[in-house]
Amino acid sequence: MTRLLIRGGHVVDPAHGIDAVQDLYVQDGRIVAPLPEVDETVDATGCVVMAGGIDMHTHIGGGKANLARMLLPEDHRGGSLELPSCGTCTPGTLAAGTRYVEMGYTAAFEPAMMAANARHTHMEMGDTPVLDHGAYVMLGNDELFLEMLARGEAYETIRDYVGWQINAAKAMGVKVVNPAGISAFKFNQRKLDVDEAHTHWQVTPRQVVQTLARALKELGVPHPLHIHGSNLGVAGNIESTLQTIAALEGLPAHLTHIQFHAYGKEGPKKFSSGALQLAEVVNANANISLDVGQIMFGQTVTASGDTMRQHAQSGFATPRKWVGADYELEAGCGVVPFRYREQSYVNALQWAIGLEIFLLVNDPWRVVLTTDHPNGGPFTSYPHLIKLLMNRGFREEQLAKLHPDVAAGAALKDIKRELTLSEIAIMTRAAPARLLGLRDRGHLGVGAAADVVLYRREDDMERMFSTPERVYKDGTLVAKAGTLVAAPVGGTHFVEPEYDTGIHKRLKRHFSDKGLVNFDHVAISHDELCRCCNGGRLLPAACFQGEAT
Amino acid sequence: MLSADAETVWTCPFCPLLCDSLQASRQPGAGLVLQRGNCAKAQAGLGRFETSTVAGALLRGRPAPVEQAIAHAAELLRCSRQPVFAGLGTDVAGARALFGLAVNSGAICDGGPALMQSTRALQDRGGFATSLAEVRERADVLLCLGSPPGERYPMFDERCALQPDDARWLVLAPGGEAPDYFAPVARLAALLEGRSVAAAPAELLQAADRLRGAAYAVVVIETARLGPQGALLIEMLQRIVASLNRKGRAAALTLGGANGTGTANAVFTWLSGLPLRTRLGPQGLEHAPLAFDATRLLAAGEADLLLWLASFGSEAPPPATHAGTPRILIGHPALAAEAADVFIPVATPGIHHGGHLFRTDGVVLMPLHPVPGLEGGGPQGLPSDEAVLRQLQAALQAASQAASAAQEAAA
Repeated sequence: MTRLLIRGGHVVDPAHGIDAVQDLYVQDGRIVAPLPEVDETVDATGCVVMAGGIDMHTHIGGGKANLARMLLPEDHRGGSLELPSCGTCTPGTLAAGTRYVEMGYTAAFEPAMMAANARHTHMEMGDTPVLDHGAYVMLGNDELFLEMLARGEAYETIRDYVGWQINAAKAMGVKVVNPAGISAFKFNQRKLDVDEAHTHWQVTPRQVVQTLARALKELGVPHPLHIHGSNLGVAGNIESTLQTIAALEGLPAHLTHIQFHAYGKEGPKKFSSGALQLAEVVNANANISLDVGQIMFGQTVTASGDTMRQHAQSGFATPRKWVGADYELEAGCGVVPFRYREQSYVNALQWAIGLEIFLLVNDPWRVVLTTDHPNGGPFTSYPHLIKLLMNRGFREEQLAKLHPDVAAGAALKDIKRELTLSEIAIMTRAAPARLLGLRDRGHLGVGAAADVVLYRREDDMERMFSTPERVYKDGTLVAKAGTLVAAPVGGTHFVEPEYDTGIHKRLKRHFSDKGLVNFDHVAISHDELCRCCNGGRLLPAACFQGEAT
Repeated sequence: MLSADAETVWTCPFCPLLCDSLQASRQPGAGLVLQRGNCAKAQAGLGRFETSTVAGALLRGRPAPVEQAIAHAAELLRCSRQPVFAGLGTDVAGARALFGLAVNSGAICDGGPALMQSTRALQDRGGFATSLAEVRERADVLLCLGSPPGERYPMFDERCALQPDDARWLVLAPGGEAPDYFAPVARLAALLEGRSVAAAPAELLQAADRLRGAAYAVVVIETARLGPQGALLIEMLQRIVASLNRKGRAAALTLGGANGTGTANAVFTWLSGLPLRTRLGPQGLEHAPLAFDATRLLAAGEADLLLWLASFGSEAPPPATHAGTPRILIGHPALAAEAADVFIPVATPGIHHGGHLFRTDGVVLMPLHPVPGLEGGGPQGLPSDEAVLRQLQAALQAASQAASAAQEAAA
């Protein structure tokens, strides 16, 4: 492979504390120490050089995404159709991969993979060009887990079950969605607070979260429990969020699309920002990381495993249609199209709350930039979001256009902080890589994978981050001036924690009794994963050793 | 450590329940039989495989080397102004390959009328779905139209732990056919919405009460039995589900997408962003669920080539075409009996090689396995449809390049 010199760029590599003009050498797809001679030199003068972007929470693959596409042919009408794939909030995989790469992203993680749908999820991600990918498998609403918890079975048994499930689904981590709530909805329970018992199993979300967070820590899975908490979207849900953090008792956890979980119920409209309260607790609890799930105004579609909450919100569907489902004794899904409006008090405040969280949490290593694509807005709005975070004047201009009560009253208008390039680099690549345990991604140190982006420096950050000059994936030039020039198949990240295989017998019985798929059919082998993912590289991430007790 | 054991696990590809409790085997001289389990549909599917006869490609009915057949098919595709791809009897790998060919030839792809009905209903109103294991675990009332699905899906009762004539069935318009369903379904939907229905028969009032009293009511929708206005029926049935979900719990189980059509729909949707009955034209994608009906397009002369893909052998026969409209048939060896410009026999996913198919509920993507002894296309050495489609795409690209080079030379 050619030896490449990227010369004279302004390298922003926060993992190594670098924010300066430097040369970068690439050989065999890796960043290397300075070489005596090279085959190609790229002049990066006037460019900002960063590692490839990593989106750790984006619904781009699997059942829900595909249902959303089927539900919304509207999303594909008009616009440019240069590809045999289209869409904005529900793009085809070919369009999604292309758009991500053209923006300088080189990896994306599907956060809500159902175990029963794991093969499908891997297939879609394999058909998403260029991007490396991985997925978090959903647990905590599966009847077996809830039954084990309800019967007070040995914790080690539950931990082995979690370990088996991660291996079987070839997952990168575990996500819990509305802990016990998706199952509870199948029993016609319409609400579940953190200390409220599931109507059938009598277990609480607190127990579910504690058990899963502990299991992941002991299994040595690098990414801690990925939590979509209780009461998503409900006014006053900041209480549930703080209770969930307390329930963790110091165990590491990642609270996802936290904007949707940071609502107070103050004020005349009984809907207020909980961002300050949240930020105080997060600043004081180093075990907690977040991604924001910023909302963006316009048409999108919300796709979630949270059947209970999506059913409750389905009356707001725009256009007026939605899909829900109960699936295989383990999960469910709800797909509700939605249009966020600037003149809606609630939507305007949601927008402000997201930005407040970005700006009030002190440590950028614990706040990841997401819109929870497509739930808060399509990922293609990231450059706009970056501009909002980096430019106070622009932010205030936008705020002034919103519902007058929000424009006048939001705490956001008094926040002066403007994020730096280095902080943006942390929130969009370095932090997600670290939170996922991707040791050779998200930075530009010697030995790192050569996922490198050159952004032409501009005053307008939205323009700068929309169309990078060049994007390299593992050393290969994949996009030039915002246009895809090569489409190698991306790799699959997953983890394989060790567990006691004695659990298999028990699981085989369960799968047979419940009429589920033949147990011998459940686990995805390496060979099959490779076929699902279109022959892309398998990238197993190392688990922490010696953590298990 | 965790890989599935292909020796002992088999998934039956002949109906969208995709049962993996059955086992097929090859009997010397007797073709394929069901060795474990009992299902008339599986037996019928297996019975179509004769492993001893020679199966080769045909050019206008005459044996030809497969390379020549592919080259001719590529030339027909190149000359076509609007090809239509239908049948779509394949698995994920075949559908992925077919998508590439469709993009290269600007084809319209159609998965058939029943699939269109559920797509239309979904696009107009959405719906609430459930899956087989949920039905088995929770259903205390099951609503269906005409008759329970057991006779069309012999394993349905076993999969859902239902007894023969299970008391949980609520059959609307018993013995009826599609046109009879509209009135009772509409009236039931109105009753459940709390509207007054003039002279509602006692059975209908009882049905509404049973559904309202259910802990988890399941509406079973067999898309292929609903007739040409099936989308409206599906919408009404989904309205029943939505009404029940306001206070209690209910969901719909769809039975459909057989012979790979549901799978092709899922694959085309994720790759392109749009479901079937879409044209992958040079100007971009065009989705027209009513207009892009393969049978209609061919009858009206709006399509000038048919590519029919039917690798399972359990598909319906290909549609009629006008004299002179090229027909490319790719599929089960028995398709040789159909008139065609080009016929290429291929292996069957789940018989000759592994693969993946979506189950009827659309959530479980089942792995397929070859029947022991038939791996790699069996004694006839049949190529997979995926391989044939990829060769066809390469041949089409080569033919197009050669043609434009010739044009340039002439100019």
